[in-house]
Amino acid sequence: MTEYLIRRTLQSVLVLFLISVVAFLLIHAAPGGPKSIMMSPRVSPEVAKIQERNLGLDQPVPIQYVKWLGNMLQGDLGNTFKNNIPVGEIMWPTVKNTLVLMAAAWIVSLIIAIPWGIYNSTREYGLSDQTASFISYIGFAMPSFWFGIILQEIFALKLGWLPLSDMYKLGNEGDIGDLLLHLIMPVSVLSLGFLASYMKYARSSMLEVLDQDYIRTARAKGLKERRVVFRHALRNALIPIITILGLDLPILVSGAALTERVFNWPGMGRLFVESAGQREYSMLMAITLVTALFVVVGNLVADILYAIVDPRVKLGKKGGVSA
Amino acid sequence: MKRMNKLTVCLSIIALAGSLLAACSNNNNTTNSSASPSPSASASSASPSESPSASPSEDPNAPVDGGSLVIGTFSDIVAINPIYIQDTSSGDVATFALANLYDLDRSGKVAAEPWSLAASLPEISADGLSYTVKLKPEAKWNDGTPVSADDILFTYNTMKNPDAGSPAISVTDKIDTITKVDDKTVTFKLKQVYAPFIYSLYTALAPYHILKDVPVTELEKHPYGSDVAQTVTNGPWKWTEWNKGQYLTFEADPNYWGSVKPHIQKITYKIYADQNTEVQALLTGDIDMTAAVPLPLLETVQGNSDIAVNLAPGPQYEYFAFNFKDENFPGNYSLFKGQKTRQAIAYALNRQGMVDNILKGTGTLMNSPFLATSWANPGDAATNYTYDPEKAKQLLAEDGWVAGKDGILEKDGHKFSFELQYNSGNSRRESVAAVIQQNLKDVGIEVKTTALDFATWVDQNLNPGVFEAALGAWSLSNPDPDQESIFSSKYYPPAGQNNIWYKNEKIDQLWVDGYSTTDQAQRTEIYKQIGAEISADLPYIFLYQYGTPQAFNKKINYAEEDKPEASLAYGQFFHIINWWIK
Repeated sequence: MTEYLIRRTLQSVLVLFLISVVAFLLIHAAPGGPKSIMMSPRVSPEVAKIQERNLGLDQPVPIQYVKWLGNMLQGDLGNTFKNNIPVGEIMWPTVKNTLVLMAAAWIVSLIIAIPWGIYNSTREYGLSDQTASFISYIGFAMPSFWFGIILQEIFALKLGWLPLSDMYKLGNEGDIGDLLLHLIMPVSVLSLGFLASYMKYARSSMLEVLDQDYIRTARAKGLKERRVVFRHALRNALIPIITILGLDLPILVSGAALTERVFNWPGMGRLFVESAGQREYSMLMAITLVTALFVVVGNLVADILYAIVDPRVKLGKKGGVSA
Repeated sequence: MKRMNKLTVCLSIIALAGSLLAACSNNNNTTNSSASPSPSASASSASPSESPSASPSEDPNAPVDGGSLVIGTFSDIVAINPIYIQDTSSGDVATFALANLYDLDRSGKVAAEPWSLAASLPEISADGLSYTVKLKPEAKWNDGTPVSADDILFTYNTMKNPDAGSPAISVTDKIDTITKVDDKTVTFKLKQVYAPFIYSLYTALAPYHILKDVPVTELEKHPYGSDVAQTVTNGPWKWTEWNKGQYLTFEADPNYWGSVKPHIQKITYKIYADQNTEVQALLTGDIDMTAAVPLPLLETVQGNSDIAVNLAPGPQYEYFAFNFKDENFPGNYSLFKGQKTRQAIAYALNRQGMVDNILKGTGTLMNSPFLATSWANPGDAATNYTYDPEKAKQLLAEDGWVAGKDGILEKDGHKFSFELQYNSGNSRRESVAAVIQQNLKDVGIEVKTTALDFATWVDQNLNPGVFEAALGAWSLSNPDPDQESIFSSKYYPPAGQNNIWYKNEKIDQLWVDGYSTTDQAQRTEIYKQIGAEISADLPYIFLYQYGTPQAFNKKINYAEEDKPEASLAYGQFFHIINWWIK
């Protein structure tokens, strides 16, 4: 296990390095640098050159990359072009805000989706199952920003029950009750999307297991249905679900740019889109790396959980499973 | 398979959001330029409201101190170091925290208001070359240091130093020397008579005592202006907080030196990523005012009885630009060289229809590069092209265009078909481009419209002047009518903004004449001639002066002379020091 972890960690570092190279090249290849966005068209080309030199943008991209990498390894993510503020100072709070929002939405959707999906698998095509299918279709099909706007229209404007947007009411920063109130609408929007897929996974995974020979054997022994479902089927059915959850871990930080935008949530998705429009290279790199880190860690966690839940999987040995 | 789907969705979301953003960054960016004063054409519908809750012993219309004002905006600030401010948001908040040397009156003239740092209007020497400015003796920074001649010297010497990289250099490079007469008095000596110079006195100052030892190339990176704790100010409100990406707060400064004190206790400048959400926030009362109500939401906002909307257009105009450089066209042949051809296109466009239907009445037609509200507006001296497709066809025929087999006009083997570029995500321009396409199709001209990402468009096409035709706008933050750097042949890219490669020697000379005298009557006459000449020659088709409607909650009160003024840059905060909340 230790050997496996070390190997996987080294692999992850390599992957992150490659991601950083590709991301750096792509980001710098986009036409129109930060200068063309920031600068007044009245600024003469000479002044523009001086500003570019001051920012180090006049150097070739590979040299810029090496400099960036060197700084990054020392923990310096760089500063914004537009106002020379350390990238981390702006980014970390948004990472935290996005985590709060996404974790809430994720947990809410899991709490609803998994028990409901399992219940539906035992009563296939019943009223509950049909309802769940209907909700799933809506969840898949409805654009999140549109659903968000509808909720705002009803609950914030018409009824006035819920705050329209933001994380806190102005001046209430840090108030947990206020935060919960502000979470209701964006979490509803996001969890509807997650709900749809998790419910389907839970249901189909259970159905598959319930169709297995050993379940038939258990039933044939005369065990109670309850015991069959919870003791025999559930543990096996959870294996693929856990894998999917691990792989979905990056969702927690990738954010949902549109939902964050509609609810004015000060998160990372919104920051990334803004930074892309302004060609804030350092910010884009930092966010890309944080997201990539979560993807890599998510994969690793999924593999480890897999091994824990499924005794058939032995890590680090020949013939073992590795992703 | 599942992951694949997710990636696709993610990419399309980024693409969509990116295009929305492009519209915003555009707004943000075009707010830099030169020219035009004016009495506003339309009155603000906002007015001091009589609040029934006022105690009976007091005059219900008397200003009250205290209260808070929350302003919605679409973009965070960059920094408020006055040497570098060029984005709208930083300019907005500088209005609260930094006093200006001079301010503008409602008609766009430079004025020494009670809250301006200067004691009186500048004394201009008879030869028009020297401007002497005297500071108010009581003016001081909020750390107690007096505002002095050194602050003026430092600010202007830095602005005109190319190594500093200040955007103000385009005007300040006209300064020959700046001399300190005494601690409170400074004399600017210009290299030449340059009338628009007076508007460079409409600026805030940087604190010499804080920044004097910073090397000039390091100034832009200095935390003054971006770190709240290190930013000493001299305006009515002091900067108290910057929660990045979310909001900034300002509180009435107890140390403020002015004889007129602000009534409003606290100002919050709140950032919304989405304009729809911003307007909803206005309707729910989360914010009290916004300077940009998107047109599709205008009726909803107008329908709310708590909100007053000001529809007067802002200091900006939209244009349809012809490119005169042959190399930009297939076959090295610019289609727009014929004056009659350009006039025909002007007749073919239904500009009034655009104003009525797309701008929903929030714009005014333009026939020259001078705003309708400007003293330089040439009025009837400029040709007004009314919508007349028959006249257009006739002029095109006179210029040698004949219909080809497919109905599209041709001349000397060149087909009258061109690409019209604009930035994606700007719904106004999308609609206008569609109207242009249809109007010109009606007279036998084929238009292909192309929407490009704003940053890419500016970098690859607009700045280097590589396009066939473009739909764009100029925003005039400074009320002087001079626009030499847009239209004179001295200013081809990359040195200037004449990115259409236009040349008209008569107009080139008139721009120079226009800024080489400080005699107002003479200037008015010169700009009238420019208006007549340019509207006949048509380097652009001037479409309309436009603006985004401003909306104010009626709890914001002001006397008639202090009401917001849409035709000025930052005019939504006109005389905000005199406003009160009730």
